[in-house]
Amino acid sequence: MVIALLLGCQVLDHSQVQAGGISIDAGLTPAANRWIFRSQMRILERDNNPTTPSMDMQAHMFPIMVAYGLRSNAMLMVRQAYMRREMTMMNQSTVNSGFGDLFLLGKYRLIRVNTPTHTLGIAPILGLEFPTGEEPFTSNSYDLRIGTFVSGRIHTWRMDLNFAYTWNGMAMTGDSGIDPGDAVEVQAALSRQFSVGSYADIALAPVLESSYQRLSADSNGDLAVANTGESLILVSPGVKLTWGSFILEGLVQFPVWQDYEGAQTERSTSVLLGIRVMN
Amino acid sequence: MNRLLGRTTPLIIAIIAIGLAIACGSSRKSIEELAGEDSEIRIYEVFGMDCPGCHGGVENLVNSLDGVVASRANWEQQKLTVLVSKSAQVSDQMILDAIRQANFTPGKRVQ
Repeated sequence: MVIALLLGCQVLDHSQVQAGGISIDAGLTPAANRWIFRSQMRILERDNNPTTPSMDMQAHMFPIMVAYGLRSNAMLMVRQAYMRREMTMMNQSTVNSGFGDLFLLGKYRLIRVNTPTHTLGIAPILGLEFPTGEEPFTSNSYDLRIGTFVSGRIHTWRMDLNFAYTWNGMAMTGDSGIDPGDAVEVQAALSRQFSVGSYADIALAPVLESSYQRLSADSNGDLAVANTGESLILVSPGVKLTWGSFILEGLVQFPVWQDYEGAQTERSTSVLLGIRVMN
Repeated sequence: MNRLLGRTTPLIIAIIAIGLAIACGSSRKSIEELAGEDSEIRIYEVFGMDCPGCHGGVENLVNSLDGVVASRANWEQQKLTVLVSKSAQVSDQMILDAIRQANFTPGKRVQ
């Protein structure tokens, strides 16, 4: 349906339009001294544990992100999330809430080409997650993330790609002896944006995202920890409304393939709603 | 899943409806409305703007130049309209540099 909508927009509107991803920390570096404030509400569910069918989990995450353009080609972003998690097993519920770890990310724009018909941008990223969160939401480790963000447009279509590798447990602060598994993420977003109001101040964009996530199993010495490690592919249709310096965005993530080590709950459909404000 | 979709679908629809309502009711003065006898209107091509969110980045930088009264970007037309005070010394080069600082690529001056 979303592909049909995107194709429909292509036929109906030939203006030069585009939009970035929603679940991705999309976008190249903002202008120097420009602030971007972003907040989201993410609702995730997990269920269908093969050994404990009565177990399920629902999590609400409220990440807040602030990005600042240090220069026209470099930005710094900080992210802090508040989380609430409810786990139910045999009709018994356990609720935890608290702050997650602080994440700091730097992005450097290596390439940006702007022409009337196409654009191309490439920006490597380097991030570090600090174990500042509350139990049970902290990883108790410094986690390093490296990756590259690629954004391109040809005529009226835009594609965003994001490759990231996260070295979880680069430096541990706890004494559990368990080394968390590393993560690989590949995300892509296809979008098309078209004007709604006068002066091109308002735009509506259907967005189709897809992402592959691979989390390696935790290890204890040379041994893999049971029931850890997972791979999944998500397909996520969404919509984004831009009004001047405000962006409202919504996305539904459907897991179309998932593979788990051992007995774990499966990822269910999740929802993301967000707002962005730029100065 | 149905429970989740049931709860959030009205929210998404409400967000879109609010946005469209705002869109229909919103208005911002054009450069032509702001222009007076002591000011000059210039129009430049700007490449790389993706959405209305890009307008603020380039407008803020151009507006910070001494002598610039106001500016309006249009990502759809790939244009930047600048209202400049006739008594001020604002060169094209200063405006083109501000466009580059905003991460966009200036084309030619069309007016």
